Amino acid sequence: MSAQLTGIIGTVVFLTLILLRMPIAYAMALVGFVGFSFLTSITVGFNMVAKEIFNTFTSYSLSVIAMFVWMGFLAYYSGIGTRLFIFAYKMIGHLPGGLAVATQAACAIFGAICGSNTATAATIGAIALPEMEKYKYDPSLATASIAAGGVLGVLIPPSVIFIVYGMATEQSIGQLFMAGILPGILLMLAYMATIIILTSRNPSLGPAGPKASWSERAQALRGGLVEVLLIFGLSIGGLFAGWFTPTEAGAVGAAGVLGVSLLGKSLSWKKFNNSLLDTTRTTAMIMLMIAGAMIFGRFMAISRVPFELASWTGTLPLPPWAIMGVILFIYLILGCFIDALALVLLTIPIFYPIVVNTLGYDPIWFGVIVVMVVAMGVITPPVGMNVYIIKGVAPHIPLEVIFKGIWPFLGALIVCLIILIAFPAIATILPNMLLS
Amino acid sequence: MKLLNDFVTGFSKQLDRIAGLCIFCTMAVVVANILLRAIFNQPIIGTYEIVCYITALAIALSLANCAIQSGHIAVGIIVDRFPLRLQAIIDFSTNLIALGFWGLSVWYLGDYANTTAMNGLVSPTAQIPIAPIIYLVALGLVGLCLVILVRTVDSLIKILADIPLFRFTDQSESISSVRKAIP
Repeated sequence: MSAQLTGIIGTVVFLTLILLRMPIAYAMALVGFVGFSFLTSITVGFNMVAKEIFNTFTSYSLSVIAMFVWMGFLAYYSGIGTRLFIFAYKMIGHLPGGLAVATQAACAIFGAICGSNTATAATIGAIALPEMEKYKYDPSLATASIAAGGVLGVLIPPSVIFIVYGMATEQSIGQLFMAGILPGILLMLAYMATIIILTSRNPSLGPAGPKASWSERAQALRGGLVEVLLIFGLSIGGLFAGWFTPTEAGAVGAAGVLGVSLLGKSLSWKKFNNSLLDTTRTTAMIMLMIAGAMIFGRFMAISRVPFELASWTGTLPLPPWAIMGVILFIYLILGCFIDALALVLLTIPIFYPIVVNTLGYDPIWFGVIVVMVVAMGVITPPVGMNVYIIKGVAPHIPLEVIFKGIWPFLGALIVCLIILIAFPAIATILPNMLLS
Repeated sequence: MKLLNDFVTGFSKQLDRIAGLCIFCTMAVVVANILLRAIFNQPIIGTYEIVCYITALAIALSLANCAIQSGHIAVGIIVDRFPLRLQAIIDFSTNLIALGFWGLSVWYLGDYANTTAMNGLVSPTAQIPIAPIIYLVALGLVGLCLVILVRTVDSLIKILADIPLFRFTDQSESISSVRKAIP
C-alpha cells in the first residue's frame, strides 16, 4: 500500500473515530501512531509518541497557553467583566438598544484580557442578561447579542486560537495578536450597527434604560476600564514593544489581574482556587489536543498527503480566490460540528501549505480569516458553544429563541469577513508596522 | 467498583491540585525573573528550562481530572442520538482502544525515562535531571488511563445491565455518580 493511500485511509479512520464520540485528542494520537507505525515500525511509532508527548508538554512556546488561560479565568472570577459592563451600560445604556450595544463594548474590552470566547460570553452574559431582561429587551436579541459578542474574545488579543495557529504555522504570536486588533474593532462596530438597525426598525426589541449622570459615569470609569487598560498595556503592550516573550506577557498579565483583584479585594481564596482548577482543566484539554495533532501531523508528513494535495491544488484551473472560497466554505461547514480549536489544529497542516505556499496569501492575514471563520461555528447550530453557554446563564430561554436571534449577527460576521478578504490591509497593517 | 471510582477520583483530584500549584509557580518564576532582570540585571539562571518542566507537570498531572470532568473535546452529535445500549457498546469499544493505546504510551514513556536516566541527561543550563520529569509525565498519563479504565468498566456494566445474569450490578456506582460528586 502506498504512503498516500495509507494517509487517506488514516484520515477516514480518524473521522470515523471522532464521529464515534472518541475524544478528538485521543483519535488524533491513536490514528497518528497506527499510521506512522504502519509506514515505519511499531517500536519507532511508540518512541515517536513518547517523544512528541514529552516535547509538546515541555515546549516553552506553548507554556504561554497556560498563562493566558489563567489570566482569563482570573479576570472571570474577579468580576472585572461585571465592572466593565457597568461602565459601558452607564455610558450608552439610555439609548434604544443601548444595553445590547454596551454589551458589545464590554465584550471587546474584556476580550483584551481574556482569550476565550466562552469565558467572555459567560462573564458578560451573567451580568448583561438580567439587566436586559429588566428593561424588557427581546429575549432573542438579548441572548444572541451576548453569544455573538463572545466571538470578540478570540479576535482581540490575547487569543488562545491565535497562539495555537502561531504554533502550528511557526508565525509570530505577537504579530498575530496585533493583526486581530483592527478586525476585532471592526466586528464590534458591525455588531453595534446591527443592533442599532434592528432597534431603530423595531424599538420594542431594545427599550431605552435610565440615563446615568456624569458623576455616575466617572465613578464607573474607575471601576474596570482603567484596570483593563493597565493590564493590557503592560502585558500585550510589553509583548508588542519587544520587552517580553509571549509566555512572559501571559505571566505578567496573570500577575496583573491577580494583583488588581487582591488589591480590590474581589478575589476570595475559593475563587482563586477555582481559577486554577479551571485553568488546569482547559490547559490539559488544549495541550493533549496539540500533542495529538503533533503525532497525527508526523503521520501526515510521512504519508505526504498534505504536500500532494497542495501540488494538486496548484494545478487546478481555478483562480486563487475561488480555491480560497472553497476552503473557507469547508471551514464554515466543519465549524458547525467541530470545536474551533480542534478545527484549527486539524486543518492547518492541510490547508496552510495550499493557501500560503501555493496560492501565495499572507500567513498572518490567513490566521485572522481562519479565526473569524471558525468563530462562526461557536454561534451556529447545532454545536454553537457560545449559545449553549448563554442557555446555561438563562435556562428559561429556549435554544431556538437564541439561535433565531443569531442570524443578524452571523450576517455581520460574514460582512466583516468579506471586508477583510477585500481589504487584507485591515489585518496586516499593524503587524507590518510592528515589523518596520 | 465503588472502591475503584473513589480511588481514581481522589487520585485525579490530588494530581490536579499539584497541577494548579505548578501553574502558580510558573507565573511566579517568570515574573520573578523579569523583575530580577529589570531591577538587578540578574535573571534566574535556567528560567526557560524551569518553566518548561513545571508547565509539563501542570499539563500531565491535570489530564486525569480533565477526563473525569469530560473536558477532552468529543463530537457526540451522532452517537448521542443512538439507543443507550448501543451508545454503551460504542463507548466500551472506543474506551478499550484508547486504554490500550495510552497504556502502551505510558510504558514507552517509562522506557524513554529509563534510557534518559541511564545516560544521565540533564538540562543544558540549570542542570536539572530530565528523567524524573518524564516519569512524572508518565504518572499523569497513568491517571488518564485509570479514568478511561473506569469509563470502560462503566460502559461494560451498562451493556450487561440488560442481561439477567448481570442484573445485580449497581448503576449508582457508575462514573456518572463520581462526576456529580466533584465540586
